[in-house]
Amino acid sequence: MAILSAWALALAATLTLLLMPAAQAQATRDYISIVGSSTVYPFSTVAAERFGRGTDFPTPKIESTGSGGGLKLFCSGVGIQHPDITNSSRRIKQSEIDSCAKNGVNGIVEVKIGYDGIVLANAKGAHRYQLTRQQVFLALARDIPDSDGAGLIPNPHKTWSDIAPNLPAIPIEVLGPPPTSGTRDAFVELVMDAGCQSFPLIENLAGNARDAACYTLREDGAFIEAGENDNLIVQKLEANPTALGIFGYSFLDQNQDKVQGSPIDGIEPNFDSIADGSYPVSRPLFSYVKSMHMDEIPGMAEFLAELTSEAAWGDFGYLSDRGLIPLPESERQAVLSAIKERAHVNLAP
Amino acid sequence: MPPYTALIILLALTVLGYWLGRRRPAAFGRKYHSLPGYYGSYVAIWCVFPALALYCLWQLVEPGFIRSQVLATLPAELLELPEAELGLIYNDIRNLVEGNIVSGAPGEEIIAAASRYTALQRMSNLGIALAVLVAGLASSGWALRRVKPTLRARNKVERTLRMLLMAASTVAIFTTIGIFLSVLFEAIQFFQLVSPLEFLFGLSWSPQTAIRPDQVGSSGAFGAVPLFTGTLLISGLALLVAVPVGLLSAIYLSEYANARIRAIAKPMLEVLAGIPTVVYGYFAALTVGPLLRQFGEAFGLGVSSESALGAGLVMGIMIIPFVSSLSDDVINAVPQDLRDGSLALGATQSETIRQVLIPAALPGIVGGILLAASRAIGETMIVVMAAGLAANLTANPLEAVTTVTVQMVTLLIGDQEFDSAKTLAAFALGLLLFVTTLALNVVALRVVRRYREQYE
Amino acid sequence: MNRQRPGPPEPVASSPAARAEFGRRLARRNRQESRFRLAGLCAVLAGLAFLAFFFLTLIGNAYTAFAQTHILLDVELSAAAIDPEGTRNRQTLGRADYQGLIRNALRQQFPAVTRRGDLRQLFALVSPGAGFDLRKQVLANPGLIGQKQRFWLAADDDVDMLIKGHMNRSAPESQRRINDRQLAWIEQLEAAGRIERQFNHRFFISGDSRDPEMSGIRSAVAGSFYMLLVTLALSFPLGVATAIYLEEFAPKNRWTDLVEVNINNLAAVPSIVFGLLGLALFINLFGLPRSVPLVGGLVLTLMTLPVVIIAARAALTSVPPSIREAALGVGASKMQAIFHHVMPLALPGMLTGTIIGMARALGESAPLLMIGMVAFIVDVPESPLDPSAALPVQIYLWADSPERAFVERTSAAILVLLAFLLVMNAGAILLRKRYEKHG
Repeated sequence: MAILSAWALALAATLTLLLMPAAQAQATRDYISIVGSSTVYPFSTVAAERFGRGTDFPTPKIESTGSGGGLKLFCSGVGIQHPDITNSSRRIKQSEIDSCAKNGVNGIVEVKIGYDGIVLANAKGAHRYQLTRQQVFLALARDIPDSDGAGLIPNPHKTWSDIAPNLPAIPIEVLGPPPTSGTRDAFVELVMDAGCQSFPLIENLAGNARDAACYTLREDGAFIEAGENDNLIVQKLEANPTALGIFGYSFLDQNQDKVQGSPIDGIEPNFDSIADGSYPVSRPLFSYVKSMHMDEIPGMAEFLAELTSEAAWGDFGYLSDRGLIPLPESERQAVLSAIKERAHVNLAP
Repeated sequence: MPPYTALIILLALTVLGYWLGRRRPAAFGRKYHSLPGYYGSYVAIWCVFPALALYCLWQLVEPGFIRSQVLATLPAELLELPEAELGLIYNDIRNLVEGNIVSGAPGEEIIAAASRYTALQRMSNLGIALAVLVAGLASSGWALRRVKPTLRARNKVERTLRMLLMAASTVAIFTTIGIFLSVLFEAIQFFQLVSPLEFLFGLSWSPQTAIRPDQVGSSGAFGAVPLFTGTLLISGLALLVAVPVGLLSAIYLSEYANARIRAIAKPMLEVLAGIPTVVYGYFAALTVGPLLRQFGEAFGLGVSSESALGAGLVMGIMIIPFVSSLSDDVINAVPQDLRDGSLALGATQSETIRQVLIPAALPGIVGGILLAASRAIGETMIVVMAAGLAANLTANPLEAVTTVTVQMVTLLIGDQEFDSAKTLAAFALGLLLFVTTLALNVVALRVVRRYREQYE
Repeated sequence: MNRQRPGPPEPVASSPAARAEFGRRLARRNRQESRFRLAGLCAVLAGLAFLAFFFLTLIGNAYTAFAQTHILLDVELSAAAIDPEGTRNRQTLGRADYQGLIRNALRQQFPAVTRRGDLRQLFALVSPGAGFDLRKQVLANPGLIGQKQRFWLAADDDVDMLIKGHMNRSAPESQRRINDRQLAWIEQLEAAGRIERQFNHRFFISGDSRDPEMSGIRSAVAGSFYMLLVTLALSFPLGVATAIYLEEFAPKNRWTDLVEVNINNLAAVPSIVFGLLGLALFINLFGLPRSVPLVGGLVLTLMTLPVVIIAARAALTSVPPSIREAALGVGASKMQAIFHHVMPLALPGMLTGTIIGMARALGESAPLLMIGMVAFIVDVPESPLDPSAALPVQIYLWADSPERAFVERTSAAILVLLAFLLVMNAGAILLRKRYEKHG
């Protein structure tokens, strides 16, 4: 009996192996395939779910691969084995457009879906930091100008009060995303770069050295790379009241009872300040669509219509409920007409 | 007619062939070489293999054939499209055929192509079913005619079986080759960007490269030494927990505990190895990490909230069963004579264990520990969550370190360009990790073989 | 090493001093013995204590996920809104605005609320997915159309968190996701007995969702199931065949040495490396689609295979040689001896090893990250070729979701995964027991 079942399994194995070429040959696709940024993922999935529930089309499949990985997959070719849409927490680069073109992906439609704020936050009930970008730079840069402005020295600041007397005497401890993350790039560019600009010493360095000085975060334990799991950062902050964390606004929005956002340059991070652009640390989020797939993959046009409907990305749409900051009306119209005309992305300003 | 009809026909033919082949020797009287079943198997094998080969071949050829036939019916202006877009149209046709939802209203020519597709598919299924039928009948008929009293059916069947077994054992080899090749090319690309010497002996790991061509980040340091020391530190801490606890548990369960306690406790300890590592990661980051920090503060020690200690401790708990279960098995396998002999000489039970059983079981125990160590080295999720990503070159377990696997994950799912040195570094790390574990295993196998004690 | 062993027993009674010395030594050795025994017991208890602590914490976090807050509303299923033409056509019924009907019901419940902003807040009390539930009920029973019916509708995740006590009602308004006005409505509903915690059946029957109250583990469980099916169908026969070949037929030479080193090495290769292999081989080379259980199953097969081979070889060696010799002695061929006599005895051991390998495959997530299984999948996969997630990946994804209500669901999903693992391990233990008796 046992031997019989063993042979039955062997038969199953053969059949599975036989299935493989058949599977490859038979693979048709009736669903939309989306890849890309883990920051856009929470928004893209909501729209996909509404779309799947509200229409007869299957729910799109959304993979969280990171912006770079997503664009790489997206640009690998045209056809059902390649994704139709990729999400990105940064704008596509010229090198990526070129690599797309090399693989026959010519028409890429850019859909800017909204803004995302990046916040510095700490546990509720602990000291509420009021920071400027210059102070953040002084706290987190690896090298800073010394007091008489003569040269760069390794960052000597141990506590916040070392930077400015009005800050508390608490050791500097900031949990943030790793260098591979788009959030980190945006943080460095929007906070560190701006903080840098007030130091003529650094500004006068040649391009390369200037950027290196501005963008390198310290590695002596004051800045802790805590992985890309923002939820985990929130929970770590709760466990460790003296630490600050860097993460997306949607996580602050959901955890308002646990963490508080620190005002930057006097502006508190909230929905309105990010939407009107007064909060300085926010970046746009994008979806890139293959125009060649728009007619051929079922539901593409309908999905884009759902994503860009007033109910979704509008001022009171469900995406804003999830923490996405909507685009201003005029930008929304521009995106809509770009979709309609299938205008290809053009990086020239 | 569904596509698997051919397989059903083949199955039926095989059973029929077996039955006919089995009956055949009865006609020879009492003198024939093998048991009747072997003649049956002989015919069945002959029936299956040619027809199956035919079927596989057809499966490879068919999609291309149907595709070219279907596309030929499309109007000329569609055919001029590039290959990839044609593929999309073809997908549309197939979605229509399969009753899936299609994009927009299908055009006239698409519907025509779809019906052509259905017709071709039907024909093809019918064709392959007939072909399999004919091939199976022909080859089994031929085999049936060869069944004679002198035919050494058993030898032939067994030889086929043996070849199948051997073929199965090559899968493991191919897996290794596959792993090697799949990381090698990207690793080579990486080593063109970063010198292997810098990678192997560099003391600083900071994979920050430029994020846009018009922007310059820091140069990016790709020295893997801090990653390996980090891996060793955390694995070492884990073994420090797992080896004493695991070994003592194994000894207690195999030598002291009564059968009932053993039957309950052993599987329960094994559950520890089955808990998904994501879960351990949360536990390490949110419970153990803050606890250690508070503890350290009480003693005036600066414990990083993402210390190697926290990750190491939790990982140690995870690998306890690897040490305990395997040690338990080998201690049990030590012959009773050795125990009896030692006890008869007046040694206490613990003396017997320490001085007779453990030395005798040592190679097996070492094997278990090595397995546990390799699990620790390859572990990812716990370290991602609890030890963070800071590549510090330190031996202080209270500081944050990072490991090879963690860097691989973050490099591969990060938001960066895919062909940059950053992403390629993950493959180089994979290669290095693979080679390291390979070397470790070769050494371990040599050691175990040399010192293995035989009790036959 | 011999130095520490107790000396020969002759001088036991030779002199009182020697006797006293012997007595002291014996006492010390006995103390040592009990200390050693105690250490062993402590080790076992430490392991078990951790396990108990772990499970208690987990269950403490998870149990609330098995209930879901529902709100009782009187929904007017007016024919004019659902089926204006009275055709009872499924498509027409499917397209109606059910969420709108629920909104009307909420308005009737709170007629005082009229301002647009307030209405938005009021409507947010009910889950945005409740309309789809209502739609399902109407489609299943079109007779309901035209009636006013009482429905228990799923509450929004924030309301759910509040009712479950995960949100502090007395905290200042700015610090909770439910504002004072909403809180007042909820309290009104509570007073009217219109809020109730009911069993969360959706958790088991629906796929992933971005609304925590609508999400479930079914698509992930189905994905894991198909993956394990593929893994079982391939790794068991291949593993057993390899083990038989290596143990019984392979000549002992450098080649088999190489195979053996290789298999031991594969058992130790980090699982994430198998993910790289799967990506390069099955997806890039063979062109199989991403995120399908077939590919996941193949990758997990390669990962489990060494475990199965090692277990199967151990099972084969543990069959006493006398069985083999007896079979050969009465004229069986080697193949017959193995398949008819050794295999049946070794099979339980092989199955045990396979089950343990499968359990490991079930909990594995790192290689799946590489082959596109970290995906948002709502529709339940119907074959190994449909895109799907897997249970550990679902846990990973939920753990990363911003919504608070996913925290308890993550724990609940972990609990379900652990339950599967425990059942599999229990199966292996039962097999092993049977085996030990027969052996």
